[in-house]
Amino acid sequence: MSRPNPILFALYRHALRLYPSRLRLLYQDQMLQTVRDAHAERQHRPSLFWAQLFADLCISAVKEHILMTRDEAMRRPIFFHAITLCVVLTLMGGAAAITMQQLLRRGADQPQIQMAKNYASQIVVGKRLEDVLPPVHIDIARSLEPFAIYYNDQGEPVGATGHLDQSVPAPPAGVFSYLRTHPVDNFTWQPRPGLRIAAVAFHVNGPNPGFILVGRSLTLVQQQENALRRGTFITWFALMALLALGALFLNRAQARHTIAV
Amino acid sequence: MAATLQPPEAWLPLTPTVFAILLALADGEKHGYAIMKEAALPAGGGISLGPGTLYGTLDRLIRDALVEETGLTDDARRRYYRLTHLGHRVLAAETSRLAASLRTARSRTAARGVRA
Repeated sequence: MSRPNPILFALYRHALRLYPSRLRLLYQDQMLQTVRDAHAERQHRPSLFWAQLFADLCISAVKEHILMTRDEAMRRPIFFHAITLCVVLTLMGGAAAITMQQLLRRGADQPQIQMAKNYASQIVVGKRLEDVLPPVHIDIARSLEPFAIYYNDQGEPVGATGHLDQSVPAPPAGVFSYLRTHPVDNFTWQPRPGLRIAAVAFHVNGPNPGFILVGRSLTLVQQQENALRRGTFITWFALMALLALGALFLNRAQARHTIAV
Repeated sequence: MAATLQPPEAWLPLTPTVFAILLALADGEKHGYAIMKEAALPAGGGISLGPGTLYGTLDRLIRDALVEETGLTDDARRRYYRLTHLGHRVLAAETSRLAASLRTARSRTAARGVRA
């Protein structure tokens, strides 16, 4: 009578932990004995025998866990419904929060798009840059006002209403090359850590070709996003707590009713 | 047990694995490996059962009161199982159902001149 390979047998014995603990405790010894018996009388090559054995273990372990979960759910339907509701509410809340965040972010581009179009339409007909851009000096790091920067066709700044540390910042690499093939680019620009700008840039043709960039600090939007995140989390947490309390209460009431019956 | 109050037809149709296990136990008590061997035979259903599938299914059959442990064993690792009265009735009901399907299939294939 051939004995099973000790390493594979030990591996199989350890892999029995994949089964739900109740099933393993009840049948582990019998399963191992069955493997010894089957190995002694096997008709296939050892490799095929072990492959079939481990395949059966994996498939049946998954099946047993699914059945165990189903049985648990049948035994305690209130908790099952509560968990389902939790998952659904979490997904719905998450989707709503992401949508709101996107709307806020897109809304932050609104004045810049119109301003950039206005500036571009004036530059394209040959108006002087000094007459197009207002004579103001906006500190990008502190102000919430929209600012504009005009770069020539080589990407060098030639006029600006916004400054960062007394100089005109350059947009991220790739913006100009993107604008040579696309009419407009909306992006979040981070000229330095902690400072985020909602930027809109257009490619301008005409006698002075170049790129007009209009931006605005996202500080307000970030504050709104933080408030939204906080509100969403508090609402979600309150709903989960209510559901948990409700499920506990109903479960106890059901248990009392079952005992009374 | 509430399960025994249900008619045998409530368990039908049986899965091939359950049918093969009940069939293996129909002629008397057997331990796990003997059930596996019997189920693998063409006459026993031709089902290749692994230990995980076998004992998982046996566990549910015991819970549903179709199979029980005999309590007699010469080795704690080799326990014997047998059909309960309900298990025999469920097996008989499934056999009748399959026989009726077989009769219908034979008559319809014969009418078309098809041979197995």
